[in-house]
Amino acid sequence: MPTFRPGFALPFDELREELDRFWTTLTAAPPVHGWGVRPGEGVFPAVNVSESDTLVTIEAELPGLDTADVEITVHGDELVLKGSRPATADEPRTEDGDANATPQERVTWHRRERGCGAFERRLTLPVAVDASRVEARLVQGVLTITCPKTAANQPQKVVVQSS
Amino acid sequence: MVSQSESAAVRPERSLTYQPHVDIRDLGPEVVFVADVPGARADGIDVTFDGGVLTVRADVASRGLPGRTVRQEYGIGGYRRSFRLGDGFDATAISADYRRGVLTIRVPRVAAAQPRKVPVVGGG
Repeated sequence: MPTFRPGFALPFDELREELDRFWTTLTAAPPVHGWGVRPGEGVFPAVNVSESDTLVTIEAELPGLDTADVEITVHGDELVLKGSRPATADEPRTEDGDANATPQERVTWHRRERGCGAFERRLTLPVAVDASRVEARLVQGVLTITCPKTAANQPQKVVVQSS
Repeated sequence: MVSQSESAAVRPERSLTYQPHVDIRDLGPEVVFVADVPGARADGIDVTFDGGVLTVRADVASRGLPGRTVRQEYGIGGYRRSFRLGDGFDATAISADYRRGVLTIRVPRVAAAQPRKVPVVGGG
């Protein structure tokens, strides 16, 4: 199960964002997806999906992840993106006020906005794709998954016969 | 000690500038910033420390996906964010490392940034 933690910002930052969001919902027209949680909110990773005649392309921002940290499975029109992002801490972390902590261990966190932990995202693609030809590249924290469509889902050119 | 110098920085500065998520840890001898700037290149990242303010800027080349957009959950653009650190840091010893879309900046404190009693000189 996904256990991705979105980290925490300063309480006032969160409050301000919450008020901004609330105000926007009051003053703006009803959102396309209804009044519930905004699409993509709280879901990790966010994805962009495009479709051409021959390809379905999925892009996700996964900063800090190595190729070994990501697992992609495709079956028909369903794509599952799984992985885990390690926590920032490269130094031992102890609670504040630990009198026995060495100076190295006395870490004070001022901000912790980058999430960490395991994630799983299940996407339904616009059409079925050829799972055997799916390719994925992870470059500078950006994952691009290229899924060729199955032949049956590609536009067929019809030859017009002359009589 | 570390505060955001630009209160409105949560919103994009321009249409294609975003505020990166950061972790900030004070280790005592140094303060470590870790920022997510996926899609940036190392030579497109600019880190400055001026007047006690640390500023991170990162250019991100636009990258279009083939075909028509089916779903768009995030925008693509450069990053910018500033933090006010104040005095007591060694600007010449700041180091920055970028890999896999994550920028790590280490800002060491100056060794002499210890409390010091200042003698007051005055005549009779």
